[in-house]
Amino acid sequence: MRLYTSLILASLKMYFRDKQALFWSLFFPLLIMVIFGMMNFDRFSPPEVGVVDGSNNPASQAFIAQLKGDGGEKLLATKTGTRDQMFAELKKGDVDAVLEIPADFAAPGRISAVRMSYDSRKPQERGITSSILQGTLERQFQQIEQVPDQYKLDSRFSVSQAEVEGKGQGYKGFLVPGVAAMAIMQGGLFGVVFTIVAYKSRGILRRLKAAPIKPSHVLTGQIVTRLTVSLLQTYVLLAVGVLLLRVTIGENFLAWINLSIFAALGGALFIAMGLVISGWAKSEDTAAPVANVIALPMMFLSGVFFPTTAMPDWVQTVSQFLPLTYLADGMRAVALDGASLGSQWPELTGLVAWTAGTFLLATRIFKWE
Amino acid sequence: MATLTSQPAAAPKQTPANRDKRNVSGPAIIARDLKKRYGELQAVDGVSFEVAHGEVFGMLGPNGAGKTTTVEILEGLRKADSGTAVINGIDVFKDPDGVKKITGVQLQTSAFFDHLTIAEIVTLYGDLYGRRVNTNKILEMVELTDKAKSYYKPLSGGQKQRLSIAVALVNDPVVMFLDEPTTGLDPQSRRHMWELVQKIKASGTTVVLTTHYMEEAEELCDRVAVMDKGKIVAIDSPGALIDTLLGTGFKNERKARAATLEDVFITLTGHALRET
Repeated sequence: MRLYTSLILASLKMYFRDKQALFWSLFFPLLIMVIFGMMNFDRFSPPEVGVVDGSNNPASQAFIAQLKGDGGEKLLATKTGTRDQMFAELKKGDVDAVLEIPADFAAPGRISAVRMSYDSRKPQERGITSSILQGTLERQFQQIEQVPDQYKLDSRFSVSQAEVEGKGQGYKGFLVPGVAAMAIMQGGLFGVVFTIVAYKSRGILRRLKAAPIKPSHVLTGQIVTRLTVSLLQTYVLLAVGVLLLRVTIGENFLAWINLSIFAALGGALFIAMGLVISGWAKSEDTAAPVANVIALPMMFLSGVFFPTTAMPDWVQTVSQFLPLTYLADGMRAVALDGASLGSQWPELTGLVAWTAGTFLLATRIFKWE
Repeated sequence: MATLTSQPAAAPKQTPANRDKRNVSGPAIIARDLKKRYGELQAVDGVSFEVAHGEVFGMLGPNGAGKTTTVEILEGLRKADSGTAVINGIDVFKDPDGVKKITGVQLQTSAFFDHLTIAEIVTLYGDLYGRRVNTNKILEMVELTDKAKSYYKPLSGGQKQRLSIAVALVNDPVVMFLDEPTTGLDPQSRRHMWELVQKIKASGTTVVLTTHYMEEAEELCDRVAVMDKGKIVAIDSPGALIDTLLGTGFKNERKARAATLEDVFITLTGHALRET
């Protein structure tokens, strides 16, 4: 027992004194999380609309002012210019739509034909612009006197609005558990690979073998140390998410326990992967590329930073079986929605299967020299 | 009552625990017909020798002669293809852990953990042997007391070698294996290493050391084995081996002098260790 505690304490000490390990496993994910978390991807950005004012009369000026919104949130960002200028900007993608106000805008006895041209690649902006356009026109044409009676709408309707406080945590809520999952992967995989390969290539392991201990003692020390680091990463990253990015974790303390279970399971999985690579590789030069080839695609395919829904269907199909996807999805569900472990059985099963398979492979492939 | 008082005095307190574990009925080391093959290369080809308790036994030979492989077989680090190896009455192949418990090992190519201090490394290795060691005393013995709080990496070559000796001492070994302990060291460090080996011998520990330096073998070893191509070609005390050679009518071209160039070097630059 004292053998184990000495080895574990020693390797924990070494971890906390190793500035490089600390940077990559704690500060780097923290930095990424804070930077991405500060970007507000959820904020509504109003479509940019170029207006060609063909009449330039008080009615058209009032109309353009109305398009920008009525004092509240900005609905459209507008700019005016000649037809040629505005269409050039539309083609470049600088504006999302162009509105052409006819020369006889709001002239009595005439139908004011406002024409809207839009960028075919921007269906969302098109929808928003067209509905704001219609609403503004309706409002204005019911109020102004210049509009002949026969063009005013006969039937009336009203729409009332009510504000409801949203509980969805948006992008930050998506990001924080995702980065924690990524940190667990990086810490487990690279932590184990670089430590064990250095032990091997520098002869530290040879000297350990001359002592009356088993290699499994050293490995157990490593595994316990790395699992501790996995939990530490999770707590630190989520705590910063809560304090700095205002993410809320679950409904009660149970969410933290469930998170710890996921973190430990994910830690075990990526530690096992680290053991497979470091057991096979003879030096850092062969181990590092292999670890990167495993970690980098998962970082982008497993929905750590952004949901996978933007990716092609076949990529999404592959992605859902990746170990990091199981971990990130599971942690997200228990952290944000306060989901129970039972409801996360597909993620748990996926993680357990990957962990068991990888450990089995590690025991087969691991060589000390 | 008389019989009780006539008993030999109890062993002095500073006697290392393992000295009592010495199997006095047999030699410290028995190697019999050891063989080890790496593919085409017969690295060790029928090596046999015995080392008595308290002896310093040298293994000499050019690179690739099989010294390190032989030593690593005795340490329980490598499996021999055939033969017998017994340390202090324990069969190395049957009970490698039993052998590891009573041996101290300094390997030719090995290193220690970064980010642990010298003192922490010695204490940790003590724990690996199930011993609570007096780290200060061990560091004092190898002249590393002022480096106790330093990490491994910044140590000089001589300091690293002395640390591996310190680590080899944590279990009060019956037998100590030193594989090229002075290779790459400056003359001052080398002479300090010699003094250290003599201290270890004086404590009653059996020492097996490999070296490329003949004057080192002459200075330290009670007996040496000369190895070449995996075989022992001669084994005797340094003096007897020289006498045998002279008996064949051999004459050194160079006149023997009362001092060597190394003596000049040490006199000019002093005996003290040059390390910071």
